[in-house]
Amino acid sequence: MTDRALAVAGVLVVAALAEVIGRLGLAGVAWPPLSEVISFLTEPQARQVLGRALAATGAAAAAGFALGSAVALVVAAVGVLLPALAPGLDRLAAVVHAVPLIAIGPLLITTVGREATPMLVAALAAGFAVFVAATSALAATNAAQRDVFAVLGAGRLVTLLRLQLPAGVPLIVDGLTLAAPAAVLGAVIGEWFGARRGIGVLLVSSMQNMQVEQLWAAALTAAAVSLLAYLLLVALRGAVNRRFS
Amino acid sequence: MLTRPATSPDTATAIALRGIVKEFPLRRGATVRALDGLDLEIAHGEFVALLGPSGCGKSTVLRLVAGLEQATEGTVSVEGAGPADLIRSHRLGVAFQEHALLPWATVRDNIALPFRVAGRPVDHERVAALISLVGLRGFETARPRQLSGGMRQRVAIARALALAPDVLLLDEPFGALDAVTRRRMNLELARIWAEQHITTLLVTHDVDEAVLLADRVVVMTGRPGRVRHVREIAIPRPRGTDVTRDPGFHAIVDELTALLDDPEEAP
Repeated sequence: MTDRALAVAGVLVVAALAEVIGRLGLAGVAWPPLSEVISFLTEPQARQVLGRALAATGAAAAAGFALGSAVALVVAAVGVLLPALAPGLDRLAAVVHAVPLIAIGPLLITTVGREATPMLVAALAAGFAVFVAATSALAATNAAQRDVFAVLGAGRLVTLLRLQLPAGVPLIVDGLTLAAPAAVLGAVIGEWFGARRGIGVLLVSSMQNMQVEQLWAAALTAAAVSLLAYLLLVALRGAVNRRFS
Repeated sequence: MLTRPATSPDTATAIALRGIVKEFPLRRGATVRALDGLDLEIAHGEFVALLGPSGCGKSTVLRLVAGLEQATEGTVSVEGAGPADLIRSHRLGVAFQEHALLPWATVRDNIALPFRVAGRPVDHERVAALISLVGLRGFETARPRQLSGGMRQRVAIARALALAPDVLLLDEPFGALDAVTRRRMNLELARIWAEQHITTLLVTHDVDEAVLLADRVVVMTGRPGRVRHVREIAIPRPRGTDVTRDPGFHAIVDELTALLDDPEEAP
């Protein structure tokens, strides 16, 4: 209970600080008071613009999250079924992750086009977190349980499906919890390179047109979506931990 | 004393370990010898308890028979072939000190696991019969975490029996239980075994448990482990609580305990 009170107090302090800095103009004109950003968010036209952007970003992030997670799980499973491939797959994932998303963006725009880029950057951002979580989850099975499966004559596929996957669910969900905000961030970065609409596009155009309040509103919305995705998965994690351990 | 000569022709031998040497690698190429020239034969339908001080390699013997370890030297044969053949045909049952149940599965699903692993249709009647056999009727849909330690071990033993295995391997299955529960589980296992008569190898450091359950107790030396003494237990079955109060039982227990305590190497 005190933890929660502390968390609320922390958020209030940061919000109050942002308001004070804006009111006093300590950070220049580009830092508006928080109250003005929020009142901007109540204007119908602003809400319409943000709503459209949010729908586009949300869809790209969700699709990228699903795609990236699915590919990561399949690749991790392949590493278990064909152990000879596992070290190579680990390295491949690390190399792909090491390339900055900002460098991949323009490449994707020219290959898969503006429509698919936000979704694919989101998938890349989310996939790595899920891959790392899944490989360690599938390897973390209890030794005695593995022995039981070995003695019962279970092959690799049966062991994967009946032991490693269910035992790994809590760790995999941890990975998904990290992957969800990463997907939102990835989608925004993907839009940055010239999608038709989305929070990323709104950020770029607000910045170039000095629409300070809209810029902040877009940034806050992106943060809120990211946080919401995280909170949803934390709730899922609680349910999953009760079920699988 | 070296090899105990088989009391019956070779066809009656279910498990045979001959000249087993097992070395485990340490750092920098050094090895530790866990077993050194171990010979052991177990007849069909015989219950053998392997007794020894901790660290004598008795669990290694069981893991060799279970195909979980490979012998450095010597041969392990189970039902006339290697352990791998028995495993491939799903004829081996095993229960460890750690119950190793699946925490997300119910009692019923845990006991049905061997059927699913073997890709066979689950014999629900058999699963129900095993649940009654181990005295867990009414707990079919409970999860392991809702059960006591003794109940979990009973589920683990029922799981080991699910496919009516030819060979049952028990590695200190009651090692983590308190003394009272352990004794009760021993008596229950004696009752269950009396109904099935499966070739069984039990690894334990509890002398009472070994004498109460086994047809033959094999005492091992300290590391490196080999067979030190073999004691036939002629106490008639069924063995119930009355056996544990019998002076003959205690004489055997004292005799074997002395062998465990004695630091002397095998003669």
